Amino acid sequence: MVLTFIDKTGASVLSALDTAGDFATLAGRTFVAIFKRPFDGKNLLNQFQAVGVHSLPVVILTSVAVSMVFAVQLAFGFRQFQAEGLAAQVEGLAIVRELGPVITGLMLSGRIGSAMAAELGTMQVTEQIDALECLATDPIHYLFVPRFLASIVVVPLLTVISIYVGFWGGYMILVGVEGQSAFVYSHEFYKLLAFRDVRIALYKALVFGMIIALVGCWRGYRTQGGAEGVGNAPTSSVVTSSLWILISDFFLTKLLLV
Amino acid sequence: MALIDVVNLSKAFGPKVVLSNVNLQVQEGESLVVLGGSGTGKTVLLRNIMGLLTPDAGHVAIEGKIIAQLKREELFKVRQSIGMCFQMAALFDSMTVFENVAFGLRRHLRISEEEVRSRVDECLSMVGMKGTDKLKPAELSGGMKRRVGFARAIALKPKILLFDEPTTGLDPVMTDVIGRVILDLKHELGVTTITITHDLKSAFEIADRIALLFRGECIACEPPDAFKANPHPVIQQFLRGDADGPFLQDPPPPKRKTKEAQA
Repeated sequence: MVLTFIDKTGASVLSALDTAGDFATLAGRTFVAIFKRPFDGKNLLNQFQAVGVHSLPVVILTSVAVSMVFAVQLAFGFRQFQAEGLAAQVEGLAIVRELGPVITGLMLSGRIGSAMAAELGTMQVTEQIDALECLATDPIHYLFVPRFLASIVVVPLLTVISIYVGFWGGYMILVGVEGQSAFVYSHEFYKLLAFRDVRIALYKALVFGMIIALVGCWRGYRTQGGAEGVGNAPTSSVVTSSLWILISDFFLTKLLLV
Repeated sequence: MALIDVVNLSKAFGPKVVLSNVNLQVQEGESLVVLGGSGTGKTVLLRNIMGLLTPDAGHVAIEGKIIAQLKREELFKVRQSIGMCFQMAALFDSMTVFENVAFGLRRHLRISEEEVRSRVDECLSMVGMKGTDKLKPAELSGGMKRRVGFARAIALKPKILLFDEPTTGLDPVMTDVIGRVILDLKHELGVTTITITHDLKSAFEIADRIALLFRGECIACEPPDAFKANPHPVIQQFLRGDADGPFLQDPPPPKRKTKEAQA
């Protein structure tokens, strides 16, 4: 029984290392392929549209909703100590440092990461990726690179939009509902913030963009088993990338705030 | 030297041995048809030739270059001289017919868009698909998809064409159309072809030589007439299309008598 347990544990560890190695190899090949020719501008523009323009509504809506909920909670909490004025400051800090990049990352992992996994997964099971190989085209260069580039550009941009929208979400609650002064809110929102905080948010968004694109493409590229495999790829992509967004957020916060 | 040289090729997936010591030589301009039951490794053979799979033992050489030993860039150069036609066409479903056929031209040749259009039209005409360039793969029937797949495969003027079960799942008339298209391509382009098929009629029309894979081994590779006359029981059973014989590992269910025989 002990031997079986050790055997199973060993097999699980080896399997996990194998998976991590496979991901690292494909990620490395993606970085190398960025500099290869030919450059497919049309494909890149299509990805900018799919990743960026089409994601705008979902990012705006979630950012407004989360910032409003957070403002309601802060207003209620600080009212207990007659310190309502702090609500705008904490709202600003939370939105810029955490909520903006993390909410954008999580929403995009659900929207674009899953779409990438489903698209590449379908291409894999219908032999379209083999067809690319047979047409002397590196699938990593043709499929991964435009999605990766679009993600690392678009996720930081959408994070900036999310922060901007978050400001107005808090404004609606703290000024519109709680009756704080608009001038004071605008002043207090930025009071605890420095330019470094915006830079941290953008670094985080850049890393989240990399995670979303690489995990989505990797899960799709490794799809096996027909319709069931294609069905599992997006789910697995969203779970994996969300997990890594939250884990990397912790380490990035610790690292960048020091 | 043979254009395609398959030497002692073996490939297994886990415990299942799919190809075992297969040897095949295809000369320039020759047309080889590979027959065999389902799961006997025919597609695996083509995928080894294209370098999509790596052999466990033995090798495949194209013009003397051993595929498994090539660097990726060298492999891509070799692949530009091979056109692969997939069983289900494998067209890029996000692109139109035109974009599918133009794909290789745009990526590998520095030619003007006018020349791309002219070459795509030429390729689509060769397979009888002129005028479909604006359609998406989802708007095409199975036979049309295969023909667009052929057009995409010939766009770069390859020396070798590989057809993976081009007639599977098609009605007899469309099967004949596909057979004729392959024959036309062979004669017009003078390419070397390897065709995997279950359709004996088109196999005998297309082939200069016919090979039969049986349980991972190549048990015959000879001209059509010699193949027909080969007394090997597996070949004769395959040609008859009879369930009784050594071809199947598990015995087939007993044959029911027809009403006429019972009467």
